[in-house]
Amino acid sequence: MTRFVENTITFPYRRSLGPVIGAFMTALADKRILGIRNGDGVMCPPLEWDPATGAELGGADALVEVGPVGTVESWTWVPEPTEQHPLDHPFAFALIRLDGATTPMLYAVDAGSPDAMSDGMRVAPRWKGERVGHITDIASFVPGEEPEVEGDDGGPLAEPVERMDYLASITYNNPVPPSSDFVVDASREHRLVGFRCPGSCGKTYVGGRGVCPIDSVEFGEQHAVDLPQKGTITNFVVITPVQYPGQTETEPFARVFVLLDDTDVVLGYQPVIELPVDDVKVGVRVDAVWASPGEETGDAPTMAGAFGSLVGWIPNGEPDVDDPDLVNRIF
Amino acid sequence: MAPSTDIAVVGWAQTPMVRRTDLSETALLLRVITDAIEPLGLTRADIDFTCLGSCDYITGQAFSFVQNLDAIGAWPPKRDSHVEMDGAWALYEAWLRLQEGDIDIAVVTGSGRSSTGDPALIYPMEMDPYYLAPIGADPMTFAALQARALIAAGIADERAMAEVSVRSRGKGDVDELLEGDYVREPLRRHDLPPITDGAAAMVLATGDRARQLVERPAYITGFDHRTECHNPALRALDDAPSVRIAAEAAGLGDAPVEVAELQAAFTHEELLLRRVLGLGEDVAVNPSGGALRSNPIMATGLCRIGHAADHIFGGGNRALAHSTSGPCLQQNLVCILEGRS
Repeated sequence: MTRFVENTITFPYRRSLGPVIGAFMTALADKRILGIRNGDGVMCPPLEWDPATGAELGGADALVEVGPVGTVESWTWVPEPTEQHPLDHPFAFALIRLDGATTPMLYAVDAGSPDAMSDGMRVAPRWKGERVGHITDIASFVPGEEPEVEGDDGGPLAEPVERMDYLASITYNNPVPPSSDFVVDASREHRLVGFRCPGSCGKTYVGGRGVCPIDSVEFGEQHAVDLPQKGTITNFVVITPVQYPGQTETEPFARVFVLLDDTDVVLGYQPVIELPVDDVKVGVRVDAVWASPGEETGDAPTMAGAFGSLVGWIPNGEPDVDDPDLVNRIF
Repeated sequence: MAPSTDIAVVGWAQTPMVRRTDLSETALLLRVITDAIEPLGLTRADIDFTCLGSCDYITGQAFSFVQNLDAIGAWPPKRDSHVEMDGAWALYEAWLRLQEGDIDIAVVTGSGRSSTGDPALIYPMEMDPYYLAPIGADPMTFAALQARALIAAGIADERAMAEVSVRSRGKGDVDELLEGDYVREPLRRHDLPPITDGAAAMVLATGDRARQLVERPAYITGFDHRTECHNPALRALDDAPSVRIAAEAAGLGDAPVEVAELQAAFTHEELLLRRVLGLGEDVAVNPSGGALRSNPIMATGLCRIGHAADHIFGGGNRALAHSTSGPCLQQNLVCILEGRS
C-alpha cells in the first residue's frame, strides 16, 4: 500500500502593476472603472498593449472612465463555488460589457438564482466598503442600474497603488516512493542504507533515491546495502538565513558534504553538531548522530534527501585528513 | 511548414491511464520510455536527443523535470530539452532538432499526475494574474462560456455535445445524460474531461534509420502551432483562428485525411474543431476515445499524435493530430502524418 504525503506550497507573489493596470486598480478604490482607448474601441479591463497587434496603447493618457453599469453578454452559473471565487454562495460568472467599453470583462454576478440571469440584463458593481486598489474591490456585480457599497464607505486611497500581492497556495498529495520509506525505516534502527545499482555503473545511491540515473534501473530492497557511519567533510557552506516564510533558522549555520569511509558515497547538505561555524573546514572527521527514540520527526531533515532519523554529523576527534582533492567531492 | 528531411514517428507507448497512480512521475517515465524503445530494439544509448513535456504547477515541485532526467539515462551527458507544455510541443521541438540532420533518433515524452492537486484550484492560478487569477476564473467557467457562444452560433447544441460524450467514452445514453444537472450551464458532467494520471513516450527517427526500424513509418509531413490572446474575454469564442492557420500551414488541405485525433477535453470543443478544420462525416474523429476518455494533462496531446501514428502503422495513408493548451483552445498544434507505399 503506497503512502501518500500532503504538502501545501504557498508562493507569496508581489507584482508591479505598471502605469495602466496600476491606474485601473487605484481608480477602483475611488469606485471608478477605467478602460483604455484602442483604435475606435475601449478595452476594459485595460491592458498596456493591443492583444491583437502588440502595439502600445498610449499608457495612462489613453485611459477613459467607463461604466460602472454594464450589460451581461454571456454567463454561466457556478452552483458550487471554490475558496478562490469572490463569493461563498452560488453565483454567475458573466462577461460584462460596461457602458462605454467595447470588450467584456469577466466578473461575478450575485443574482441569487440562475433564473435571475439573462443575456442583455443590466448589472452594477457592489463595492466593498474598505477598498485597497485590487480587482476584488468589486465584491460582485448585482442586477440593476444602481451601484452599491457594502457597509461604511472607506473612501479612495491616499496614494496610487503600484503593486499587488497574490498568495498562490496549492495543496498536493504525492506518493512516497517505497525506496524512500525503506531508507527512513532503516534509519529508525540507526542504519544508513543506500542502494547499489545492479547495472553497468555499479554506483551506490543514498537518500532513498529510487532510480539509477545512469542505467535507468528502479531500486528495490534487494539492492539495499548498509553504509559506514563515519566519514570526512569534503566541502561546506555557511548560510546566513533570510527570513522568508517558513525559515526557522535565525543564526548563520553550516551545511557540509560528507564522504563516507571506504566508499564512493557523498552525503550532501548535512547538518553538523557540536561544530561551531568558525571551526567547520575541509578534512574534519565526523560520525553520524541519530535521533533518540521519540525525537524522530518522520520528516526528511535535509534538502538532499530522506535520511530519516539521521540528525547530522559530529566531530569524532580523529586527526583531520589533509587531501587537496577532497574539496572536489560534492557528488 | 514542410520538413527538409524525412522525419517519422516509429513507435510510442503510454502508461495505463488511471484516476490516481501510486507511481511517481519519474517512475511513470522510466517505464514508458522503456516500453517505447524496447520493441524497436533500441536502448537508451541509441537516443540522440530527448525532449520532455511536463508542468511544475501540476507536479507541485519546482524544477520537477530535473528528477525526470533519471528516466532517460543521461550519462554520459546527453542532448536534452524540456518544454513546460504538452508532450506534443516536445515532439515539435524534437522534429525541429532532427532537421539539423546530424542525429537520427529522438525520444519525446509527456507526463503528468493530475491527481496530485485539485485541477479546479490549480488552473485559475495560470490565468491573467491581475484580473482573472484573483477571482478564481476556472477552466470550466471559460469552457461553459465558449459552449454558450457555439450554441448561439449554431455550431453546437446540448444534444450534439452529449452525443460526442457517448461516442468518445463508448458508454451512456444521450437522453439520460441530458437530464443531469449542470456543472456550469450549459455543461454537464459528461461534457467535462476525466482527471487522469499517465505518461506517453514517442520515438522519432530520420530517413533510412526510420525505415530500418519499422516497416511503415508514420512520416510527419506537416507541423505547425499558433497561439491567440491569453484572455478569452477578448476573443471571439465561436471561432478558433489559430487552429485554422496551423492546419493550413501544416498542409491539411493538400489531401484528405482518414483519421483525426483532436484534443477536445470538453465535448463542444470537438464540434468547433470539426467545423474549423472542415472535417466531413467520412473522417473518423477520435477513434481512441480522445481526451474525454482519458485526459493525462501534459500527455493528452502527445497521445493524440500516437493514436494517429497507429493509424498509419496499421496501413492508413493520412491522419491529422491536434493538441491544445490554454483556456478555450488558446494555443493549437496540428500535425499531419502520412504513410508511404
